[in-house]
Amino acid sequence: MSETEQKLRSEARDLLEKGRVNHIIGYEAGSLKFSTTPLITSDKEDTDRLVINPFINNNLSVFLGEVGGKAGIVARGCDARSIVSLIQDKQLAREDVFIIGVPCGGIIDLDKVEKLTGLDRDEIDDIAWQGDKAAVTIGGARKEFPAKEVLTDDCLSCEPPDPREYDLLIGEVGPLVTDGELGRSKIKELEAMTPEQRWEFWKSEFSRCIRCYACRQVCPACFCNRCFSEETEPAWISPLPRWQDNLVFQAIRMIHVAGRCTNCGECERACPVNIPLRSLSKKMEEIVDELFHYRAGTDKEAPPLMAAYQPEEAEDFIR
Amino acid sequence: MKKIKKQDVPALLVKWQQDFTVFAPSKKSGVSRMEVWDGQDTAFLDRNRNTVIPPKANFLLNIEKMFDFRKEGGSYTLEPAGGEAPRQLLFGIHPCDARATAIIDMVFKDAYEDNYYLGRRRNSVLVGMGCTSPYDSCFCTSLGFGPAEAADVDMMLTDIGDAFVIEEVTDKGKELLAGAEGVTEATADDTKKADAAKAAAAAKVTRKINVEEIRKRIPLSFDDKKFWEKVSAKCVSCGICTFLCPTCYCFDINDEMLKSGSGARYRNWDCCSFPLYTKMPAENPRAEKWRRVRQKVHHKYAFYPELFNIIACTGCGRCIRQCPVNWDITQILASLPAGAPAAAEKK
Repeated sequence: MSETEQKLRSEARDLLEKGRVNHIIGYEAGSLKFSTTPLITSDKEDTDRLVINPFINNNLSVFLGEVGGKAGIVARGCDARSIVSLIQDKQLAREDVFIIGVPCGGIIDLDKVEKLTGLDRDEIDDIAWQGDKAAVTIGGARKEFPAKEVLTDDCLSCEPPDPREYDLLIGEVGPLVTDGELGRSKIKELEAMTPEQRWEFWKSEFSRCIRCYACRQVCPACFCNRCFSEETEPAWISPLPRWQDNLVFQAIRMIHVAGRCTNCGECERACPVNIPLRSLSKKMEEIVDELFHYRAGTDKEAPPLMAAYQPEEAEDFIR
Repeated sequence: MKKIKKQDVPALLVKWQQDFTVFAPSKKSGVSRMEVWDGQDTAFLDRNRNTVIPPKANFLLNIEKMFDFRKEGGSYTLEPAGGEAPRQLLFGIHPCDARATAIIDMVFKDAYEDNYYLGRRRNSVLVGMGCTSPYDSCFCTSLGFGPAEAADVDMMLTDIGDAFVIEEVTDKGKELLAGAEGVTEATADDTKKADAAKAAAAAKVTRKINVEEIRKRIPLSFDDKKFWEKVSAKCVSCGICTFLCPTCYCFDINDEMLKSGSGARYRNWDCCSFPLYTKMPAENPRAEKWRRVRQKVHHKYAFYPELFNIIACTGCGRCIRQCPVNWDITQILASLPAGAPAAAEKK
């Protein structure tokens, strides 16, 4: 157990014991190799199972709307930004959440490790940080890969990886390797395409979509009580998972979360058919930054970008 | 027992292509699933792990046109869609998926014969392939069969290195092999190798559930609201476990209509984890998440056995492996309470 984990466990136990929170939302070891799973509990004994490691995938702020009372939540940089964004959108009151900030060294992208090793994750014996390298053990043999090759693209372009909004910060910020350019390499490929090529690309990607809505369900920014995609009068899109409707669903979802999405990358990780959703969300973040000089979840006092009107708006239609 | 060298399999598939659309596991679309065989790819002969999209997608389509309707004056004319189901051959289906198909056959031919599904089933041939590298999420051996089970396919292949030993299971399977080039009689040594391969595969399935204990406990758990609230807390109510489950068969029906009133009726996969499930005709009786999670587990391990005397789960592990929050049905089943809840806690 790392020092950070030890501290997290005792602080979480303390919060429950003293009644400062009703629930703890964190991560515990998952049932598969290199997996973690959300731990949502009000039992202080459960806090001994909390973990922090390079496989803490989920953006736990998605559960904040569900647990009643005050929640103590383990938050990485991106999660803390999501929480701030939820506060801005009045989905959450600041006093109803106790943010346990954890320094994030980045999430290891198991798809990248699988590509590098040619094996599936369950066939790998161990993956661990060794300084700024990931040591991967397979059948007793050890291979090292630079952090840049195994971190998720989101983590590579994360800024800042440490939570800026918190009630308690656990541990010191580790050396996170970031490389914004590398993190947007898929986007660069898309930008280099002609519009026709891009259309064909997304057509092919969205042909696989099975409309399981995992992207929406794991997204803290998707907090609508009823999603437009399920409206029937009018039906904005067909419930049939044709590529056209799948694409329109995702395009509208991306526009709805613009200015709210903190690029945690959970939508792309959750997608069972590997649609590179993060290429859309990251690009959207860049556009929002360029047009409005706005970065999601960085200022809890700021009015939410897409829900606020200013008299000097450039576009006539909005006045 | 027959035998075919791996190098001779493509020619056999080409031969079968004369009568069938041949499907085989492939990742070419960006996700592993059964794809129309392209005549080139043979990767699945050496490495054939469970596909992400289960082969049920070949029988229960995610977009199935049921019929066209034409409005003329005050009446409608219906025109059935499709006609005869395509003749398809699924090469390399795993025992868990073949068993799953046999399980959902029961519901599709029970009170009402669903010819969309059954038509596809009738016109299909299943060429099974023993699963040699089960995932760490697999638990088929706890459900009364294993990674080499041949009962639910037309013929069953077992990998013995550079060749497959073939067990002919049905007459259809026998016919397909009769006179096929490259197919020879298996020697005693071949079958010995196949037996060893089957045993080795079964030993790799290390995840277990205790079906007997589950059968005892599951009926008692129905009213245990606290238990279901606890085990459903981290579920995000997406459709992954349902859509990728080879035994989940719910579908939704949707009309696409022009202004004229004419159009077509379709069906597509539906999912009891969705909060809006069955909202259209009435209400969702399971508004809270814990009721939906309970439904998922009870449907597979309590209701289906009551109706058809078989558990509607084959331990393929997709729901565990693909779940974005690692909700693990084997853990839920292992933690079923030993007794019914006290009356006060019932709901």
